[in-house]
Amino acid sequence: MDITFTPEEERFRARAREWIEANKPADPPAENDIRARCQFDLAWQRRMYDAGWAGISWPREYGGRGASLMEQLIWYEEFARAGAHEPSTLFVGLNHGGPTLIACGNEAQKSFHLPRILRGETVWCQGFSEPGAGSDLGGLSTRAVIDGDDLVVSGQKIWTSFAQIAEWQELLVRTDPEAPKHKGITWVICPMDAPGIEIRPIRTMAGHQDFCEVFYDEVRIPRANVVGQINDGWRVAMSTLGFERGTAFLSEQVRLTRMVDELIELARHTPLGGAAPGDPAGARRALDDADVARRLALLRAEVEALRSMTYRSVSRTARTGVPSSEASLIRLFFSELQQRVHGLAMEILGPQVLDWDVEEASTAAGARKRIRETWVFRWLLSFASTIAAGSKDIQRNIIGERVLGLPR
Amino acid sequence: MDLMPSSDQEAIQSSVRSFLENELPMSRVRELAQAGPDALAPLWRAAGELGFFGLGIPEGDGGSGYAITEEMVLFEELGRALAPGPWLGSVLAAHALAEHGGDRAELARVLAGEQRVALIDGTSAAGSLVARGGDVTGEAFYAPDAHGASAFLVLAPRAALLVPASSAVTVEPRPSLDPTRRIARVRFDGARGALLAEDAAVVRGLLRTATVLSCAEAVGGIQRTVEMSVEYGKVRKQFDRPIGSFQAVKHRCADMAVRAEVARSSTTYAVVSVRDGAPDQDFQVSVAKILCAGAYVQNAADNVQNHGGMGFTWECDAHLFVKRARSFDVVLGSRVEQLDRLAAGFRAA
Repeated sequence: MDITFTPEEERFRARAREWIEANKPADPPAENDIRARCQFDLAWQRRMYDAGWAGISWPREYGGRGASLMEQLIWYEEFARAGAHEPSTLFVGLNHGGPTLIACGNEAQKSFHLPRILRGETVWCQGFSEPGAGSDLGGLSTRAVIDGDDLVVSGQKIWTSFAQIAEWQELLVRTDPEAPKHKGITWVICPMDAPGIEIRPIRTMAGHQDFCEVFYDEVRIPRANVVGQINDGWRVAMSTLGFERGTAFLSEQVRLTRMVDELIELARHTPLGGAAPGDPAGARRALDDADVARRLALLRAEVEALRSMTYRSVSRTARTGVPSSEASLIRLFFSELQQRVHGLAMEILGPQVLDWDVEEASTAAGARKRIRETWVFRWLLSFASTIAAGSKDIQRNIIGERVLGLPR
Repeated sequence: MDLMPSSDQEAIQSSVRSFLENELPMSRVRELAQAGPDALAPLWRAAGELGFFGLGIPEGDGGSGYAITEEMVLFEELGRALAPGPWLGSVLAAHALAEHGGDRAELARVLAGEQRVALIDGTSAAGSLVARGGDVTGEAFYAPDAHGASAFLVLAPRAALLVPASSAVTVEPRPSLDPTRRIARVRFDGARGALLAEDAAVVRGLLRTATVLSCAEAVGGIQRTVEMSVEYGKVRKQFDRPIGSFQAVKHRCADMAVRAEVARSSTTYAVVSVRDGAPDQDFQVSVAKILCAGAYVQNAADNVQNHGGMGFTWECDAHLFVKRARSFDVVLGSRVEQLDRLAAGFRAA
């Protein structure tokens, strides 16, 4: 057992740290300016690509860095430690669409799409969930009829982040309504500019509009865009979700550690009870309160455990070569911990959280620099962490059935 | 970086587990809880023959030359079995004797399982111990596994001593909440012992080792509560279905599994930090204790709930883990004390 890295890995860490520090972009655009955010992310991705850091986990033959598991871990740690901007509008291409093509795509699909994703030239979105198919993804009903060389798609998708700016979509459609539900699904690359697609942004409880509903009215998609075989889309999609539960979440786990440190600083500088500005000097700070201090200490311990759990999971994967099912334990722990961190921030800030302008928080770039605005916004966002990518209830089913072997 | 067990560790685990399954099934643990302390003597000698007390002791001193990472494996198995007796004190005594120039014959007796050494934490608030030279005076109120010990590893704030049982040491067994870890009130009246170190740093180091190994013991118990609930959830039927198929039960088991992984990961990391003398080893040990104590208390409670009416009986083993969780929390720096230590760290910053 070993908690240290090899000299070679430490040299890799030093190189990664130096490069990220020198190249990380400053001042990302406001939350609600999605087009500007997208351009910002693409430029950042291109910079990483030009320096050879893009696609850290992608194989070298597809232009990736082909980094070892330990190097991936180190890269994500350094990325998060430096507070480097996460190119979130590119998440689906880099962590879903691209890896799925690598696993299941044909040569034409790989050679066209993979370089564009990696070089920061295109944005992908995900068309999986539907109004009637959330946790029960296999129950999706968006239909595709094969007509000559095309699939003709009609139906509706929902919770599609960045549909309004994406060029491509990983789309799951039902091609055989008679087959058992997991056997009649096809995974297809959908061009988002195809006639018959209508996109309507959905406003979230945090006030921003990252995700959308997407409607398909007899949209024609070339059959050549099918990845894997017709009716084999469930297997193809599962290879994608395996990536999502692998190393893709590493950096947000490390970012949470940073947030707890920021929360401690917040408690150091906020009057107990979160009283308004203009408090008399020498007022008791939140950190002076034994209860607040102990809850911060517990969060500090928990983010430390998150790291050791991740290390254990990466160690296991390094031995077996496949992402471990225990990753769902980490995912569940992380998602609830993230909510506890933000919940305590709200208690520390006290009544001043009420003085929060939804328009200003997500539109004005200046507002994002204000500590209170940021914590409130992130607290609202944290409600998604136990819903997105498999709700906490589904995670508990997975743990109960696949890790512990309890009956269905 | 690798936090998975090595093949040696896996071998140690399987040999300790099979030994404990034969020698210390739960029926025997319950008998020992009623029996006088001398009933432990044969078990101790058998464990000594198998080298349990010397895993982390250099070969030149009569041990196996492994490290605290292998002792962690031993303590996990002991905790899983709820093994009664002063295991921690005996392993700690071997370390203290080997590393601080203790008497070699004494060390050999500890390694052979001929001495059962109870750990007396004289640095906690629950007592008033004073060590002067080789003499100890004062009381320890809640000393675990002290009844029947043939010697005491006394950790005073600035000194570590090995004190043999004598007329100057009075051990008063107390009725104990935890039947598998009974407590005693121990009074030292100028009791003479072998002074192993007069150095606060040495005492802190021994306490650190003791704390992290007690966490390993807790990890074994925490894991056992998950296994018990899952086993029961598969076989117990209500409404014509195994109760483990109901999400109310299944999800509680999932949360238990998460806590077990949290406890195991933080303890493993802390143990390796201690082995390496990492700069943040004290912090890591506090983290492990905080998370193990929280996980053990909650998992043991959930395990009772999952067993329903049976879980509330004396006959069902579930309550033994509830009580062990409590006795684990309060010794060697409780969860709340450890939280305060962490908070003191960042409050001072």
